[in-house]
Amino acid sequence: MINEHEISLAKHCVRFAKANGADGARAILSKSRTDSCNMLNGALDKVSHCADRSIYLYLFVDGRYGTFSTNRLAQEELEDFILKGIDMVRMLEQDLTRTLQAPDRTEKNARTGRELGLYDESIEHSDSSTRTARAQEMCIYGNHVAEDFTILSEECEYGETSDDTFITDSQGFEGRHTESVFSCFSEITIQDANGDRYSGYWWESASSDKDIDISTCSRKALERAVRQIGPKPRRSGKYRMVVDTSVASRLIAPVINALNGSALQQKISFLDGTLGKKVFPDGMTLMDLPRTFGRNGSRMFDSEGVATQDAPIIENGVIRKYFINTWMANKMGMEPTIEDASRPCLMPFMKGKELPCGENEVSLEDILEYCGNGILVTGFNGGNSNPATGDFSFGIEGFAFSRGKITHPVREMLITGNFVELWNSFIAAGTDMRRCTRWQIPTIAFEGVAFSG
Amino acid sequence: MNTHSHYLDIFKVTQLQLQSLVGTALSRGGDFADLYFEHTTFFNLILRDGNVSSGGFHTDYGVGIRVLKGEKTGYAYSENLEMSEMVKAAEAASAIAQAGGSSLSYSSGATARPTEDLYTMQQNWRDMQASTFLPFLLDLEKQITSKDNRIIKVMARLSDSVSDVLMYNSFGELTCETRPMGSLSVTVVFQQNGNTENKSISRSFRMGAELITPALIEDIASEAVKGIDERFEAIRPKGGQMSVVMGAGPSGVLLHEAMGHAFEADFNRKGQSIFSEKMGVRVCPEGVNVVDDGTLMNNRGACGYDDEGVPGQKTYMVTDGILTSYLHDRISAAWYGVAPTGNGRRENFRYNPIPRMRATYMESGNAEPEGIIASVNKGIYVEELSNGQVKIGEGDFTFFVKSGYLIENGHLTAPIKDINIIGNGPQALADILAVGNDLKIDNSTWTCGKEQSVAVSCGMPTILVSSLTVGGE
Repeated sequence: MINEHEISLAKHCVRFAKANGADGARAILSKSRTDSCNMLNGALDKVSHCADRSIYLYLFVDGRYGTFSTNRLAQEELEDFILKGIDMVRMLEQDLTRTLQAPDRTEKNARTGRELGLYDESIEHSDSSTRTARAQEMCIYGNHVAEDFTILSEECEYGETSDDTFITDSQGFEGRHTESVFSCFSEITIQDANGDRYSGYWWESASSDKDIDISTCSRKALERAVRQIGPKPRRSGKYRMVVDTSVASRLIAPVINALNGSALQQKISFLDGTLGKKVFPDGMTLMDLPRTFGRNGSRMFDSEGVATQDAPIIENGVIRKYFINTWMANKMGMEPTIEDASRPCLMPFMKGKELPCGENEVSLEDILEYCGNGILVTGFNGGNSNPATGDFSFGIEGFAFSRGKITHPVREMLITGNFVELWNSFIAAGTDMRRCTRWQIPTIAFEGVAFSG
Repeated sequence: MNTHSHYLDIFKVTQLQLQSLVGTALSRGGDFADLYFEHTTFFNLILRDGNVSSGGFHTDYGVGIRVLKGEKTGYAYSENLEMSEMVKAAEAASAIAQAGGSSLSYSSGATARPTEDLYTMQQNWRDMQASTFLPFLLDLEKQITSKDNRIIKVMARLSDSVSDVLMYNSFGELTCETRPMGSLSVTVVFQQNGNTENKSISRSFRMGAELITPALIEDIASEAVKGIDERFEAIRPKGGQMSVVMGAGPSGVLLHEAMGHAFEADFNRKGQSIFSEKMGVRVCPEGVNVVDDGTLMNNRGACGYDDEGVPGQKTYMVTDGILTSYLHDRISAAWYGVAPTGNGRRENFRYNPIPRMRATYMESGNAEPEGIIASVNKGIYVEELSNGQVKIGEGDFTFFVKSGYLIENGHLTAPIKDINIIGNGPQALADILAVGNDLKIDNSTWTCGKEQSVAVSCGMPTILVSSLTVGGE
């Protein structure tokens, strides 16, 4: 964890920059430690220990701006580094839109870094034998007998990471964010009776040790590999598409990216000029919920120190927020907001149907039943999108389903379309988002998506 | 060329200390240990909205210590090069040998050392001032905007890095080199009748600041506006299976995804790759040669030495259609009982090396490119590509086509854009019907993301694949 000496060093960097010609400065000190243990086919394969610390400096000099970082933190070296940085900034052209954030927008209460409950102190008491035992606990290689396939390889990784960040600037802002991450990952490759190979993976992560389920990780990976056996071709055409929660964020990420100030200012956003306008259907509501206690993705401030808040990004199809940092706000003459989404959450929805009340979850099975026939996407294989137009094309893998039940796997298929059109054909979102993901996107469904195969 | 003492001074270590650290790393019984010291300086300069008003530099410094016991790896690194801190890292890495297990016989792999420096650096990036490059970026913007009145935005970025690397291993081999890299990229946004299109161009080479010349600026400026009329007119084809002609150059990403990754020996050693049991087997038609080459002068994928201290090599993966070599690091080479191929690479000292590609390309064949296109009745011609991906076990690969054309009755007709293509590696290789005589290496900023980011390049002559699945409306 960051110690008092390192905090003093970060503050010294800001003071030193100011004393040597900078109009303003911000320092971000980061420190992290990761210990991991990997198993291959039930035997220890790799142990690693990683410890990083670095300081990132933002220098504002004579209406000019530059960024600098180093992991050499001896004070004398840092001072020389800052002087060279100031010299370089002076060689650049002026940009008067580069300023520090307004002080009244910064977070005032992120003092210890632990306010959001993202740090589990048990990480400090873990040792290599504990981690090895946990990695071993994940393994199923050699313990699983099946007639219709053979496990060719099983790779498991168990890891523990602690991250600590301290930010300070020349306007007096100080903020700290500390979190621990316990994670497990399994990947299994199998061979069926025909000699064909299939692979499946699964992972979990949580800030608290007790929220991660190690014992089922490999079994889920195996299940995902086995269910792909025997794919059948599917004719090209337009189908209802259900996208499993484990990969659904792939379809919302380009929408969120299109709301970013930098993309908007550079005119490479298909959502340029849409703030306050209804672009998507009534049922589409996307919230940013960064203040949820103990959940991945929560944070009290962004990299400028600006305080986060729970707020809608898209509300009943209306664009409510652009992500505008201080620089972009100055450039575009807009009010600044926050630099990017922290923990976007898509709200549940079923077109033309009342959602179950109370504690009833809307699961993948519920959505398959609601959709009837179509293709369930459980993985994306490559692809890309055009940020200026929103046109996309992705490789997919998954299953055909009929009358709400999965019938057979499909492979080597592609979906092609445009994000605005796709989300206007949005018909359902469940409540089954995974606790371990930063982006809370549940299973989602769309009408009439173009599949090629 | 710098002497070993130059590098020892950079990291403030002596050969005796290196020996001592390796001794500590092997104290619990490992088969092999190595040290990887790295000092990298990065520099960048950005032009946006007509001004070069953003830039900076970054420093990274540390040592990675690895111990191998059989196939097992112990790895730790330290950003602090005080001896006491490095000893702690060596002890952490040595823990892998504690559990015992079988051993492997590691060999030095020190074949002929490179006779020439593959990365020329007449002007060291570290000696240059930001002010030297400002006029070039401003001229680039001026040249681009003067070529097309539909341009509304130009963003350009100059990035360079210089890495001093010192490697030492338990064979007592000390290997040092300095690796420069310079990249210039530009994104241009065009608007026409309310429609927006963008185009990105880049060039990247392992060389010094002499890279930045008026000729390079002119080349990138011309390329940045090329084909934009077609981009505005482009359609998306009707999707489905069809013949695909891959244009020379960036189509090498097909090889990278469909073949290169599946030939990386770690995937094969673990039985995960679809090519695991195909050594010595025909995987392509006769006459097809596929190479992974670390010896191309100034190429982005060039390796004088890999990150395990093994000299850079030119490795034929496929010779006359037959699979003849995987791409090896030290572990897989020892496991297979062959010499390392110089493919043990890593992102930086924080990562252990694993088999990675360098410059991957197919050698030229005999066919005329025009004849290849003329032989296709219905299909598409792929001109510009971006990211690709592969599923190692299944062999399914994809890549994204930024621009190309429909082929109808042997002629290029309507322009197409923004579609994904998917295929199966072994099937696609078997379905190569023609190889052009026009091999071209693509010098864009290709970066491979297998666990770690590593600079690579690719190349291809024009080829015809009889059937791939093309995305479309």
